[in-house]
Amino acid sequence: MTKDKLSYKLIKIIKSALAALAVPVFVIYIMVAKPDYAIMNGMAHIVLPAANVVGNIVTWPIRIIGQGISWIRETSTIRTENEILRKKLDEALANKYACDIAIEENQKLEREINIKHASPYESVVADVIFDDSVFHKTTFLINRGKKSGLERGMVVVSFDNRLIGTIIDCGTQFCRVRAITDADSNIAVRVGGSGVSGFLQGNGKTSASVGFFSDAQFVGRGGLKIITSNISGILPSGIYIGEMIDETYVDVLRPNQNSRVMVLKYNNMDSYR
Amino acid sequence: MNRFLYFLKKSLPFLITIILWRLSISFWNPSGILALIPIFYYTFVRPIDWFAPFGLLFCFLIDYRSNLNLFWTIMFCVFYAIDGFQNFIDVKNIEKNAIYIFMLFIGSGIFILTWMDLTWNNFINNLWLFVWMNVLYIPITSIEDLFNCKG
Repeated sequence: MTKDKLSYKLIKIIKSALAALAVPVFVIYIMVAKPDYAIMNGMAHIVLPAANVVGNIVTWPIRIIGQGISWIRETSTIRTENEILRKKLDEALANKYACDIAIEENQKLEREINIKHASPYESVVADVIFDDSVFHKTTFLINRGKKSGLERGMVVVSFDNRLIGTIIDCGTQFCRVRAITDADSNIAVRVGGSGVSGFLQGNGKTSASVGFFSDAQFVGRGGLKIITSNISGILPSGIYIGEMIDETYVDVLRPNQNSRVMVLKYNNMDSYR
Repeated sequence: MNRFLYFLKKSLPFLITIILWRLSISFWNPSGILALIPIFYYTFVRPIDWFAPFGLLFCFLIDYRSNLNLFWTIMFCVFYAIDGFQNFIDVKNIEKNAIYIFMLFIGSGIFILTWMDLTWNNFINNLWLFVWMNVLYIPITSIEDLFNCKG
């Protein structure tokens, strides 16, 4: 009995010592492996899909009930939504004719002054599988990965070409995306229609703030359009981000506003090299 | 039937952890963070064989998804080491399923994370998460008791 108690205590101390030993190992690793975290991400690329499969199997009855509820909710609002969409379609069709004329005129002018557009980036459509906004971090997972040709650093946009974030880690069949609302996100931007550039930083939740303008006299105001600039080659130039709400804050897209996104195959890694 | 119930009872802690981690929803269960409740309970309060490494793995998964760079994994290891080395506080025999120790575990983690990016927005969100996790601690840790009564 005493021997058992002793061995139990010894095992407990050994386990605790191992846990205590793991702490400095993890801390040193975090400091040393920044920013790639190759071992940690590599391990997650194996563990996360496996845990997801097990999770999917275990939770299927709950998820089916959840889907059923959301289907009932969607069905109940479908008539109202249809009416709104019909109105919007009529308005859009009315605008379309004006746009068609403008596009033709634009093409004609481009031919006359011989403008050649750079080819648009190849894109991949992906579904948002998890919105992982927690604490000051705003990341989400998409269901496309290396298998679809995606890589770290590629740009994620919405279907109306608004910037949502950049890929920070890529597994075989999933990618982790850092949204522009993430507190660690700090990207170079430009105020549309002017030569003023600045930096856009996320606040961890709902919006992002813009500052450090290249022109010290410049004061932001509501309604100004913010687009990406290609400073240091991290993001392609000219992607629409959002509209300024006041002199600091910008209304940007949040991960929970999109269930499906597009990934532009823009690789900033070459720029670093 | 009895064998099935026995299996279910044995696997319940693992199942609760997987379910809470998998059913993540922003605001209510961001990054499956509620899985920290069974991880804490079945590691420190009602220890189960082989649950500690399982809990460590799920802390890692929560960290990976929320981009927190092993934060909860380190917190778990720190608490595990403290729990093992000291004998002043016996977590297993504290009333109310040791909710005060859980509050300390979650509270210290959330406090550090709030301090890392101190804004009103984050403070309110993190306060909500702290309250929500503590409110859910008692019902989640009582699932097993409910099971025992019926079984």
